[in-house]
Amino acid sequence: MRYHAALFPSGWPKALRPKLSIIVPFYNEEESIQAMYAAIVAAIDKLGVAYEMVFVDDGSRDKTAELATELARKDPRVRFVKFRRNYGQTPAMAAGIEHATGDILVTMDGDLQNDPADIGLFLDKMAEGYDIVVGWRHNRQDKMVSRKIPSMIANRLIGKVTGVPIRDNGCSLKAYRGDLIKEIPLYSEMHRFIPAMASIAGPRIAEIKVRHHARQFGKSKYGLSRVYKVLLDLMVIKTVASFTSRPLLWFTLLTLPMMVAGTALLAYSLYEALYLRAALSLPIAGTGVICLTSAVILISAGAFGELVYKLGDMREFQFARLTQRVTTGGRIQHEVLAK
Amino acid sequence: MTQRPEKTISVIIPVGWRSANAVELYGEYKQGLDATHLPYQVIFVIDGPNPAFQAGVESLAKAGEPIQIVNLARTFGEATAIMAGFEQSQGNIILTLPAYFQIDAAEIGKLIAGLDQADLTVAHRWPRKGGWLEGLRRGAFHGLVKLMTKIPMRDLGCGARAFKRIVLEEVSLYGDQHRFLPMLADRQGFKVLEVDIRQSPKDRFEGVYGLREYTRPFLDVFTVFFLVRFTKKPLRFFGMVGVSTFAIGVVLTFVMVIQRLFFNHQLADRPALLLSSLLVVLGLQLFAIGLLGELIIFTHAKSIKDYQVDRVISFPRGAEHQPVTESESADGF
Repeated sequence: MRYHAALFPSGWPKALRPKLSIIVPFYNEEESIQAMYAAIVAAIDKLGVAYEMVFVDDGSRDKTAELATELARKDPRVRFVKFRRNYGQTPAMAAGIEHATGDILVTMDGDLQNDPADIGLFLDKMAEGYDIVVGWRHNRQDKMVSRKIPSMIANRLIGKVTGVPIRDNGCSLKAYRGDLIKEIPLYSEMHRFIPAMASIAGPRIAEIKVRHHARQFGKSKYGLSRVYKVLLDLMVIKTVASFTSRPLLWFTLLTLPMMVAGTALLAYSLYEALYLRAALSLPIAGTGVICLTSAVILISAGAFGELVYKLGDMREFQFARLTQRVTTGGRIQHEVLAK
Repeated sequence: MTQRPEKTISVIIPVGWRSANAVELYGEYKQGLDATHLPYQVIFVIDGPNPAFQAGVESLAKAGEPIQIVNLARTFGEATAIMAGFEQSQGNIILTLPAYFQIDAAEIGKLIAGLDQADLTVAHRWPRKGGWLEGLRRGAFHGLVKLMTKIPMRDLGCGARAFKRIVLEEVSLYGDQHRFLPMLADRQGFKVLEVDIRQSPKDRFEGVYGLREYTRPFLDVFTVFFLVRFTKKPLRFFGMVGVSTFAIGVVLTFVMVIQRLFFNHQLADRPALLLSSLLVVLGLQLFAIGLLGELIIFTHAKSIKDYQVDRVISFPRGAEHQPVTESESADGF
């Protein structure tokens, strides 16, 4: 469902009031989980919306799972998803999203660094008609050299490459329109790139400042570990997000300069050999042949990609439908998302 | 899970080219199985024609032993044989046993008991006989496996394993992957336990291992390495190798161009030119393969889940005493 402030200037009508799902992945957070639950309840009860909490245990080895089960027993609003073992933050988020039933999904970290009191701001922003609202930890409480500077560079890069200029991709506190985010594939270690990945659907994205607290308990578990992983993931996102449905075109475009260069070099060396009667220049002819070979290989890869896409179950149309706006007889219908 | 279901065992015995006397083997296993005091069924899967064994099991069946025989028309390999037996099985515990004497059958109970703490138990024959060459071969193999998959196992060659039914429902085996069932199961989030089992005094291989016995497992390690580590992120592997190959090629080319331009080295008579250009092409190819892999993953992301939910717990209002617990399974790989 899509909400628009212009339609409901006096707030949401009760019947249309969205249900909120708060998704929190936990990994070895036995000290935090109770406090996290209390903070969420305290913050959301004030907002007066229907909500549920989806806690995901990412295979913790401490008492997180027992505590979460206990919370689920006491509070019917808690749904607890337990992993068979540790899979990482992205699968935990993906599982939370899958098991959430709300219209608006809010994700946040389980380590108390995000403040549930900010969730109200996200709801207000969503009510303005945004599909995704991301948090920006403007006063981030982390180490400068090891965390903040690498993440600043990474964010710049991510923004440039994906065209989704978000200042803080690493902030877990984000709100999504439920039906949209459920359609976005999340795998591997994509949690940093959810908005970028979601950009395949063309969502409207807003960014708001959020509070950020220093870690109270435990150590940071998910760091910005290896740069090359981020770089490769970024490349994957870029590829799949912009060119999935036309791999042949994409690979062909990539090879165009190679084709031109290869043909030119080869032609020149032949011209030299045949008309100027000089010896065939091995480096020039060789480079030409190599350029052409690479081009052929890449074009074949593109053709193969077409086959892969055809056999897959991803269609751009399904993403387009998520954010489309249908106007019938001059009236905008915002809710066109019945599945 | 409120009520633990009664344990029932399905024994699957894949019979390959190496097999012992069927009657003798069955007699030993039967003793061991009876000692567990659990109901069991025995399924022999005869993987390709094996007249001696066939005659043996048929005489057992005639004698009224409650065994099931599955005959495969040609040799498909042990993993396929296990899957064929699994299809016929009904027990909630699957026990695979080798078709020749590897373990002391009296200790089968230990494998079953281990399932209380784990989802999959594998036998580790200990103490172990065998010459130093054998020991070296084993050590090298398991060392390599540990290096590649980060899972320390000590006796992957032993065919005695017990596991809960759900393990084989979620891990599909093919080729020679039966050996690596522990790794594949671990990847799916199952708990794997190694149990020390006495080696059978008759566990002796009289022949000489052919070259194939040495090379094949190493190739399999490679396959499993890919399956376990990179199936979800092909570009991590191909991209890394591809980019570094490409980079070396580019740097080499660059150096040669500089030498040509400023130091007057002729390019034509330099084999390094060939190398550098091949590296560039190879790098591009590898990278393209990685991207295609990513495309495959992306377009199938909905059908392949990379996590396994143990259970979902919620207590909706009005059902305070009854947790809504659903176990979930998804086909991963």
